[in-house]
Amino acid sequence: MHDLMVDFETVTPDLWMANEETWKEKLLKLPNLFQIPLINSNASLNLPDSTLVRFKGMIQDMHNPEFYFEQFEVLNTNTNEIKNKSGKYRDTAHILENEKINYTENLKSSQRQTMVVVSMPGLSDWAQQVEDKQNYLKHLEQQPNSSKRLNQDTKLKRSYEEAEEESDSMEVVEEVGNKERKVTEKSDAPANVVSREHLLNFPLPDTPSKSCIVKIYDDNENLKLNDMIEVVGFLSVDPALSGEFQPEKDPLPDPQTETEVETITHNPPPSLVPRLHAVYVKKLEHCNPLVKSFDQGAVLKEANSAREHLLKALTELLLGDKLAAEYLICHLIACVYLRQETLALGQFCLNLSNLPIQKYPNYAKQLYEIIKQFVTKSYYLPLTIENMNTLSLLPKKDYECNRLTSGVLQLSKDTHLVLDETKMEQGRLDATGVNNVAALGNMIMTQKVEYDFKYYKMEFDSDVSVLVLSEGKSLLPSDYHVPLRPEESSLQIFNAIIEAATYYLKEDIMNIIRIYLTSLKLVKYTISEDIQFVEDDFIEMRSNSDEDNPVTADDLHRLLVLARLVSLSRGFDTLDKECWEITKKMEAERLNRIKNRVASTI
Amino acid sequence: MAMRDYTADKETFKNFFVDFCQSDDEGNKNFKYSEQLTRVAHREQTAFVVELDDLHETNEELAEAVRQNTRRYTNMVSDVVYEMLPDYKHREAVAKDALDVYIEHRIMLEARNHRIPGEMRDPRNRYPPELIRRFEVYFKDLSSSKSLPIREVKAEHIGKLVTIRGIVTRCTDVKPLLAVATYSCGACGAETYQPVRALHFTPPAACAADACRLNKTAGQLLLQTRGSRFQKFQELKIQEHSDQVPVGHIPRQLSVYCRGETTRRAQPGDHVAVGGVFLPLLSVGFRQLTQGLLSDTYLEAHSVNCLNQADENELTEALTEEELSELADEDLYSRMARSLAPEIYGHEDVKKALLLLLVGGVDKRPNGMKIRGNINICLMGDPGVAKSQLLNYIDRLAPRSQYTTGRGSSGVGLTAAVMKDPFTGEMMLEGGALVLADQGVCCIDEFDKMAENDRTAIHEVMEQQTISIAKAGIMTCLNARVSILAAANPAYGRYNPKRTIEQNIQLPAALLSRFDLLWLIQDKPNREKDLELAKHIAYVHQHSRQPPSELRALPMRLVRRYVALTKRKHPAVPTQLADYIVSSYVELRREARNARDVTFTSARNLLAILRLSTALARLRLSDVVEKEDVSEAIRLVEMSKQSLSPVDENVQRGISSTDRIFAIVRDLAGSSQTVKIADVIERCVDKGFKPDQVDACIEEYENLNVWQVNQVRTKITFM
Repeated sequence: MHDLMVDFETVTPDLWMANEETWKEKLLKLPNLFQIPLINSNASLNLPDSTLVRFKGMIQDMHNPEFYFEQFEVLNTNTNEIKNKSGKYRDTAHILENEKINYTENLKSSQRQTMVVVSMPGLSDWAQQVEDKQNYLKHLEQQPNSSKRLNQDTKLKRSYEEAEEESDSMEVVEEVGNKERKVTEKSDAPANVVSREHLLNFPLPDTPSKSCIVKIYDDNENLKLNDMIEVVGFLSVDPALSGEFQPEKDPLPDPQTETEVETITHNPPPSLVPRLHAVYVKKLEHCNPLVKSFDQGAVLKEANSAREHLLKALTELLLGDKLAAEYLICHLIACVYLRQETLALGQFCLNLSNLPIQKYPNYAKQLYEIIKQFVTKSYYLPLTIENMNTLSLLPKKDYECNRLTSGVLQLSKDTHLVLDETKMEQGRLDATGVNNVAALGNMIMTQKVEYDFKYYKMEFDSDVSVLVLSEGKSLLPSDYHVPLRPEESSLQIFNAIIEAATYYLKEDIMNIIRIYLTSLKLVKYTISEDIQFVEDDFIEMRSNSDEDNPVTADDLHRLLVLARLVSLSRGFDTLDKECWEITKKMEAERLNRIKNRVASTI
Repeated sequence: MAMRDYTADKETFKNFFVDFCQSDDEGNKNFKYSEQLTRVAHREQTAFVVELDDLHETNEELAEAVRQNTRRYTNMVSDVVYEMLPDYKHREAVAKDALDVYIEHRIMLEARNHRIPGEMRDPRNRYPPELIRRFEVYFKDLSSSKSLPIREVKAEHIGKLVTIRGIVTRCTDVKPLLAVATYSCGACGAETYQPVRALHFTPPAACAADACRLNKTAGQLLLQTRGSRFQKFQELKIQEHSDQVPVGHIPRQLSVYCRGETTRRAQPGDHVAVGGVFLPLLSVGFRQLTQGLLSDTYLEAHSVNCLNQADENELTEALTEEELSELADEDLYSRMARSLAPEIYGHEDVKKALLLLLVGGVDKRPNGMKIRGNINICLMGDPGVAKSQLLNYIDRLAPRSQYTTGRGSSGVGLTAAVMKDPFTGEMMLEGGALVLADQGVCCIDEFDKMAENDRTAIHEVMEQQTISIAKAGIMTCLNARVSILAAANPAYGRYNPKRTIEQNIQLPAALLSRFDLLWLIQDKPNREKDLELAKHIAYVHQHSRQPPSELRALPMRLVRRYVALTKRKHPAVPTQLADYIVSSYVELRREARNARDVTFTSARNLLAILRLSTALARLRLSDVVEKEDVSEAIRLVEMSKQSLSPVDENVQRGISSTDRIFAIVRDLAGSSQTVKIADVIERCVDKGFKPDQVDACIEEYENLNVWQVNQVRTKITFM
């Protein structure tokens, strides 16, 4: 097995191409891919050019396809020897100084798809740590890499020295040339420099991230925007690829195919955004590093005990409110499981209102800190007037740079978005603010996000669970609104509860909960044919409904979605009468609370 | 593929240009290309357009060859035209610009040089054809060829003529692009010409003229701007249209290079169809060094056409086989109706009415009087019965539509505003929602909440389909051929069946009668319907899809295209149907007199029936209205009335359908003893009964010996 690994460490694009099928087979046979360096965990600058690496992330943007030369002839001017070379899996032509590419004949061009992949937006710290631990490769860490990004030229030299197989000696010479050019460029063209954030284009602000430009050769891959993928491919970090090193413009009128900003944006420095030439792309169902294999039976068997732990912790955190805790569990395991033209089933936007912010102004944030420990991906967005008016929630196509500028709502599936409305104060929403609130509402209702392409808008499906924490009923729509009913005794000792919870939630219990939350989303759930009781109950509800609170089709949808989650959380993969009764009771209690609340405020 | 014989092709082109003619309606022969050649020869026209349709008519094979290898044929046709031009030059063309004079000069010089026998010009220094030719050759793609989505333009299309559609996202200024660079030698004075075909060029290092070459002086070459030829050049970036992008993908883009006559045709934001040759572009200079393994691609434009609103609808393209088979359904009418807002369960008659609103009836103008064809519908109902959802869906589905709410719009906002231009002080008209939705649908939510005087602005629109403005020196009449789809909540929150509609919605009768159909959507608990609904929803949750028994909803895009297709039909009502329509109308009026009518049955209802029936005929893509259309239209009107009189319905629910049918039969019989069963069925179906219910009724009363049915079961005789 170790031999296999060594192979993967030393394989080059040429070797790979010579025997593509075998290599791929070998790759698929590996028990895990840990030995192939993961750029998310191992800095790319420790890796030599043209080695096989891995990257996990979300597709953030798709560029136009590139036409590259799959085969071309190289003429050695010294020996007059003609060699065939291939441009597959690389960006630069690996040619010697005295070699010349024949651009006129025997060229075979092919198409490859270019995508921008960013590391999972909102990935929790614990998940990142587990990932790092799993993918830790000792031999890459031999050199300290603290000042890694400061000097990319030395870095490159180092990586070339490091390269085991001495590739063309020409390479280094070329690098030196580039370095010189860079120095001159830097001095006289400072305007070309754009910010790092601009180049990384990450959906969520203030979070560390990595991005890669992935070039995909296999046309069949049905990859969509915002899909989570794992890519195995050849690294390409030739600094010459950076768009900042463009030469001066020709003096003659030069028709520009791209604007300067576009060039720079599309060709960021490879030290910052490495290129990856994919040999294997896998769509990921989830990105929880703790869940490696999925066995429905085992998951369901374990479910109840995990649920107990979670319920206990959440009930305490929600100040003794068990009902709210039940709903929160359902919220945490919900995902969209059916999508038809305008209908999305399975979404579970929860609105917890009546939070005790008088006493604990930061309650919402504290609650989020704990939830963050459970879920794999989450983001906390305080709904302040300022945030609403200034943040760009919706992704927007930037024609100046010709790319999709990301927005907060560009999230991969199963991300938990926590909106803290308790931070909202009185004020004035401007046009952006109104649009942002509308976009949030729209996403909650339909699980779709409208991306702005300036000339038209396009809807993209999203699957983001939204938790709205508010004082009164939220101004945003929600599927389930639960007013919190804190117990007086818990209210007094909330800080102690937090402490106790952290103590109770030890790593092993945490991991059980984490696995539970992720794997339940993968369980296949069925409803048996015979659900007479559901139909009967609905008819009864309809006939009992009064004029002011009519029972509609939406209510039945809601009940069935909740019943599904109630059953799943308890480890059943079908709907039975017992769970249905629990569900009905939960809903009745919830509606009762809302009613009483309304009555009390009047 | 065998190599084509290009010399033969050249000959073919020559003959084609001379011989090709089209006869117009009067039989005059129109030599299209000869005329073009004449105009080109006299410098009255620059673009020489070869329509592949014409070529296809005479030489199918050659047309195909041109499509496959367009660039080569462009050069060939250019040569052919250049050779033919002198024959078409009947008079001396006036020199238009300096370059004309320059060319004339050079040609004279050349002729003079030729007079000296034995002296041949250096072939390298001969005038390049690009310098002398002042015309541009363009091919127009076959009209039958489909336009490709940008993402389908792939490597295999390189060198071929393709047509793409998209939206212009960026266009550069039109700049001069060097086509032929002319240099003069500093040492010997000889001129050197360098045709430039790419976007970049490298000037020749030294003079190649004989004098310099022999003397080895290597004179310096100086670029002569005035002697060089420049071309207009513009680059467009075209992005895929949203309907061409697969779900979950990002729209792709393509660069289009426009030269000469194809420049300045489009602005950013325009929808365009571009025909051109797909070509690779080698990176040069530094880019070549770094990205030497990449080639950019672009489309060399041969034609750039802006699409207007009407063309841009996808409907210009015929429905594909697949789509046709999808539409080839027994009951397209119900299926399409169900495809409207499929997530809203039930309300089929309402959806049918909305479908007819989208299709619209036929406008008529007898003797200058205008009778609108657009159908207006008002949906009323208790809060939370998906009225707004229906409106929203229609707004999204209709190719042209405006959505407003009653409270948010003023009369001026709906119709048109006269404004004073702050700079010039002139009066300007600015169209409101109704004007903007001309030939479309205007959805007005919360119609009842609109202020009274604003609402009156709609009266004119709803019947005359125009907006007259007489304000501050502007008197005009704007077209507002819109269908109005309004939604209203009942006054005091809930529909009270004991009151009249006017009281319920607080809308004047004058306005209400302008709606062809008024629907009251109510959501009353009803055991059977609830069970059906529960089963439906449970099924969706069980199987994660819609129940199979139901017709699958058609995709929105297909519905949109089909509706647009129906608009091309203008069905007429045949005279033999007139009697039937008249009698049905008389029947409606009679009933309205007898029963306590909450709606208004007026002549407008007759027009409504006609509109609905023509819309139904359109939906069948038929040119003639049939009896079934009329009876369905009557049924809809009847159903809409029924929805408004829920009290009656409830009372009648107590009475079985059999009893109600009996009452109809008795009415029909009147004083006579016998009734034809065919008449009975017809009448009952109009009232919303099913034929088998009628049969059951006839049988039941026959058993009770109330009446007798004759042997062949065509007549009922009362005992």
